[in-house]
Amino acid sequence: MIWVLIVIAAVAIVGVWFAITRRPHQESGVESFRRHIDALSPEARREVMDRVRPPQEGDANRKHNPKDNTEGPEH
Amino acid sequence: MARDLAIDLGTANTLVYMKGRGIVLNEPSVIALNRQTGEVLATGREAWQMIGRTPGYIVAVRPLRGGAITDFEITERMIRLLLQRVGVSRFTRPKVVICVPSAITEVERRAVTDAARRAGAADAQLIEQPMAAAIGADLPIDEPVGNMVIDIGGGTSETAVISLGGVVALEAVRVGSFDIDAAIQAYVRREHGIAIGERTAEEVKMAIGSAAPTDDESQAEVRGRDLMTGLPKTVVLTPEEIRFAIEDVVSSIIASVIRCLAKAPPELAQDFLVRGMYLVGGGGLLRGLAQRIERETQVPVKMSNMPLEAVVMGAGHCIEHYDALKNMFMGARRT
Repeated sequence: MIWVLIVIAAVAIVGVWFAITRRPHQESGVESFRRHIDALSPEARREVMDRVRPPQEGDANRKHNPKDNTEGPEH
Repeated sequence: MARDLAIDLGTANTLVYMKGRGIVLNEPSVIALNRQTGEVLATGREAWQMIGRTPGYIVAVRPLRGGAITDFEITERMIRLLLQRVGVSRFTRPKVVICVPSAITEVERRAVTDAARRAGAADAQLIEQPMAAAIGADLPIDEPVGNMVIDIGGGTSETAVISLGGVVALEAVRVGSFDIDAAIQAYVRREHGIAIGERTAEEVKMAIGSAAPTDDESQAEVRGRDLMTGLPKTVVLTPEEIRFAIEDVVSSIIASVIRCLAKAPPELAQDFLVRGMYLVGGGGLLRGLAQRIERETQVPVKMSNMPLEAVVMGAGHCIEHYDALKNMFMGARRT
């Protein structure tokens, strides 16, 4: 009988622990807004800008330059 | 795993940005179909070259007009083919961020997300074009200052004031560079009695079209079909004629910019005088347009470094920082 109670208690403890750790972390408004603004900073955008900016002449990566591909109609 | 994608699903061109790679596709938003079987014959540039030059059984169409889907099934097929071309298969379903006009209705919004999901996207989120354009144009929208962006696309023109990562004021009209082409077509038909195709009208616009007189003006020879005789005919058009022909469209774009300026809070309005407004989108390349807007609003107008790619670059940034920026997606804000 005692073993049954121990097992039930253990299962309950594991269940509670699991529920707590699995609950998504609730970000505060301040934290979320800070993250949003930081993601829009020039430093955060640099990577995308550098990736898309037209390469210099002779750049081997020319095939990804969108300007090479714009003979169609304008936007 | 598929790499997540950002798509600028424009009325004129579709651009695709792949996470970690950059812009991987830039093609006209055109699809050519066999009218009898419904089979897709070509998409993108190849289909664009067919516009107005197809035999009876082929139809080359733009499935988007005014920034909205006019034919759901064709759009879905076009998106599916575009996604296939950038490596998306039924086993690799990426997250997708799609740029749409801010004036889009609930029904149109649902049509875009449904088309993307059915075409192979695991999740499709929408972002307003002016917001994406401001990010892509590298404006300091993370600061508490007024940033104004004017995005003139093929089917829509949108002006937005952005500060602290959000839209403060917005004004959109379903008028864009295709309306300029249509105005040129209508003018040549009415005044010269010849019919010209939409591609010819676009070429005329690019060759001699302007919103205000410029230094390097020249005339252009245009060939079309005489409406009276049915025979091919050549006429010479002047820049003044084209300015007159497109005046209504240009005026309505400028009027929407002025309305947006009027909506901006005074604290931000003063920033525009110092920082100016930024012009993006292919329509913004119309000669003399920046000067004309500047003259009529008394606010400096600057051209973005990459006007055609700014929107997809902004959406690309959102896909790179998906979790931090998901509040910007259209659905997220409304729920």
